Amino acid sequence: MIRQIVFKEILENLLSFRFILSLLLVIALFAVSGFVFVGKYRQQSSAFWEKTNENLTGLSERTDKLYRLAFYKQSVWRKPKPLALCAEGSEKSLPDCYTFDVFSNNLPEIRGQGNFTLSHFSSIDWVFIISMILSFLALVFTYDSVSGERENGTLRLMLSNTIPRHKLLLGKYLGVLFSIGIPLFIGLLVSLIIVVVSNVAVFQGLDWLKILTIILLSFLYLSIFVFLGMLISSRTAHPANSMVILLLIWVVVVILIPSFGRIISEVSGKAPNPAELERRLAEIWTDVWSNADRYGERAGNWAGDPKHPMNNPPARARLRNASTSAQNKAREDHHNKMLAQAFTGRNLTCFSPTVIYRRASEVIAGTGINHVVNLQDQVREYQAGLKEYIRSKDAEDPLSLHLIFPEQSSARSWRAISHNSVDLATVPKFQERDLALSQSLKLAIWDIGLLALFNLVFFAATFVSFLRYDPR
Amino acid sequence: MIWRFAKKEFLLNIMTFKFAVGTTLCVLLTAVFVPILGKAYQERLKVYNENITYNERELGKVTVYKNITPMIYRPPSVLAVFSEGLEKQLGNSATIEYDKVPEITGAAANHYLSIFSVFDVSLIFKIVISVLALLVAYDAISGEREHGTLRLMLSGTAARYQVLLGKLVAGLMVLVVPVTIAFILGWLILLFFPMVELAGTDWIRFGLMFIASLVFIATIYNLGLLFSCLARRSAISLVLGLFMWIIFAVVIPNGSAHLATQIIPAGSEDAMNEQIRLLQQDLRDESWKAFEASGRKSMSGRQQVSDVSGGGFGHGYVRSCTAATWHNNTLRYSFEVPFQIKYANKYAEVKDNYLRDLFEQTALANRLSRFSPVSLYENIMSTLAGTDMASFRQFIEAVKPYRNDIIEYMRSHTDNFSSPTFWTPCTKEEIETRPKGDTASPLELGDLPRFTYQSDLVGSLRRAIPDLAFLIFGNVLFFAMTFVAFLRYDVR
Repeated sequence: MIRQIVFKEILENLLSFRFILSLLLVIALFAVSGFVFVGKYRQQSSAFWEKTNENLTGLSERTDKLYRLAFYKQSVWRKPKPLALCAEGSEKSLPDCYTFDVFSNNLPEIRGQGNFTLSHFSSIDWVFIISMILSFLALVFTYDSVSGERENGTLRLMLSNTIPRHKLLLGKYLGVLFSIGIPLFIGLLVSLIIVVVSNVAVFQGLDWLKILTIILLSFLYLSIFVFLGMLISSRTAHPANSMVILLLIWVVVVILIPSFGRIISEVSGKAPNPAELERRLAEIWTDVWSNADRYGERAGNWAGDPKHPMNNPPARARLRNASTSAQNKAREDHHNKMLAQAFTGRNLTCFSPTVIYRRASEVIAGTGINHVVNLQDQVREYQAGLKEYIRSKDAEDPLSLHLIFPEQSSARSWRAISHNSVDLATVPKFQERDLALSQSLKLAIWDIGLLALFNLVFFAATFVSFLRYDPR
Repeated sequence: MIWRFAKKEFLLNIMTFKFAVGTTLCVLLTAVFVPILGKAYQERLKVYNENITYNERELGKVTVYKNITPMIYRPPSVLAVFSEGLEKQLGNSATIEYDKVPEITGAAANHYLSIFSVFDVSLIFKIVISVLALLVAYDAISGEREHGTLRLMLSGTAARYQVLLGKLVAGLMVLVVPVTIAFILGWLILLFFPMVELAGTDWIRFGLMFIASLVFIATIYNLGLLFSCLARRSAISLVLGLFMWIIFAVVIPNGSAHLATQIIPAGSEDAMNEQIRLLQQDLRDESWKAFEASGRKSMSGRQQVSDVSGGGFGHGYVRSCTAATWHNNTLRYSFEVPFQIKYANKYAEVKDNYLRDLFEQTALANRLSRFSPVSLYENIMSTLAGTDMASFRQFIEAVKPYRNDIIEYMRSHTDNFSSPTFWTPCTKEEIETRPKGDTASPLELGDLPRFTYQSDLVGSLRRAIPDLAFLIFGNVLFFAMTFVAFLRYDVR
């Protein structure tokens, strides 16, 4: 019985004007998203490899002397992800470059940002199309599903048969879900074919699994809107009224609430002020140098010859280390404040399914702000590993002072760090790791649960309203 | 006759459910978010004031002329509450240095916040009220046909244009209500907000924003009316109108920016940095050559310097040095600084070349987005609020002459940078006796030129007018099309 109702719904939808219009719009948008991604990914990955190789060349040039390796300012670039096709996660306006030597950690920078004078525009990825356009279509397909049939009188006819109401409801739900599933599937296929044929990004087995997860997530998300549409439709007598309410709800949930995040972040706490950070760094510098004696006698003095009576290498090392670690900490604090601000805004807006859906797909695709944070952690880890490597290599050199501290002139003329050459093969090199599917699922599990909860709540509400609906 | 139709329509519409819900939502959003946006403005103002105070304090600490590197801050715009534009996306400060020309930068205070889209009052208008306009318009003609009232109306003596004009006037009257309430409410909240000061020009800007909003809403209403005349069933006209709305509000604004970056490729940032690096080399070579040609010699001997921090703006100054260093430093600055100033302009040229492409892209994106009334409205609002690209450029352009004033001041006070006061506050006797501690008294900078910046109302108006004209043109175009469609409309 359900199958018959589903078929009837699908057929009715297939022949409607709105279906043709949405089919065209959705396929066009997905095709555009495929082409845009191919162009962007090609350019990004060539830039990425060029920059990364440049960095490696620099690294290999500095293996002749260990201390030069320690002071080499490496630049690690964020690797473009093939899954940005699904969820780009506004990565183009997030930091993409980390510069560091083994001592200092700078704030991540935005280098290959493109045109910063253009106002931020959303990239057209799957998540954008699905969260904006398809959620809207779900409402367009459902706003008259109950009240429209009531107006036409067909609801009475149907219910006068032996069909129980819950079966009718389920049939309608599946019918609509399939009807929007058709343009969605064709669109996804078109976009995937464009990407696969152009051969820029190679999806591995894991990527396909992630894509599948994102598609499932999309259905979970769209199903909320289908339920919502049916709920409002079965609470109102006229389809015109249900359209009005649905449109306004859509505007609030999909457009307004996700943008509230910014304003909530801005007023929720003390905003990090870059000028203040600069001042703080200068203060630390002044403080350390004007109290140089705190770190040992003559710590503030420096002469080229390590034996010169003016020098006190261990004190100098303490001073330099203290100043760098204090500055690192100040930067870290500032950076954490920046992140906390952004996360506050997003967490406080996650009563909108759109925010949840975007966040979950970003996590699964491994893009967006989580990608940036994750990469930052990997860089820190690598930095510590490299420092450890330098320490161990330095320990092998009897001529070195074994003082590993951030002052290149001392390392050079005092031989504070070994001058021996090292083998490039043994030097640790940075390599970005993707999160495994299980890990990203673990991160996204709350969001998936929330989406399921939304579904459940709306389903229950729809069910109750429909049971009490007066079909006359 | 027209008036009677309008009155009837107006009364009918104002009692509808959609009007009640739409207006309530709009007023509610304004009432809730203007205070929050005002608070955010206060925060920005606080940071701005902190920065200004710090700047003044540091200026009082400057001990040597080379350390006069004040920061110039762009005051946050109050009207950003109504239209944020690029206010939080572009850097709002410029450092005055003799060896660098300030340029517009993309330094937001927290770039992680770019994961959110912009939120301001104009978003409420361009989304909520435009949807409301569509909802009011979609069944104006096709709905009446469905009910059969259109036949009745036209069977009387009323001409078709009278019916249509009546509908237009009524629709506008209905939509003026939420727009006006929201605007007045927002403005009142802002007026009584502590710390917020509204200048006379802000009133003019605000008035124009109101007018632009009305024109925008009229455009969307006309669009809805057009689809109502094109379709026979009101459901179809609604679907058509909403699809068009999606294209105008979502697809075109995002698509035009993307298309612009594809059509005009931006120059490479790396190439620009490389060019600047080469110029820096040239600078060293040229100043060295000039030094050799002058025939003056640097003094050999023991070179020793001792710096003291706290010379203002985080720079230090030399407290003690040997006679040779004294001689060489003075000589070096007098030769290098004029070249550094000259090369700063060359770097700026290279940078300008790079930025020109970006500006062209932005201009093209704006031109392309003129196909969408929603984007046009957005552009007009940000221009009027003084948060658009051009306002930021104006600010930076105003800083450049000020930098020249400061350089001139430094030059005239240090005898073409050849006086030791450029880099040390001590006299030759003092510096050789090596005084202890941070004791130099700060410079007397009472006659230092001060920076004043006035946002330019006339310029904003001049930029807003073409967009406004486009919007009005769109209005007329949509109405003309509606008119033709309605004349040919089959009322049965």
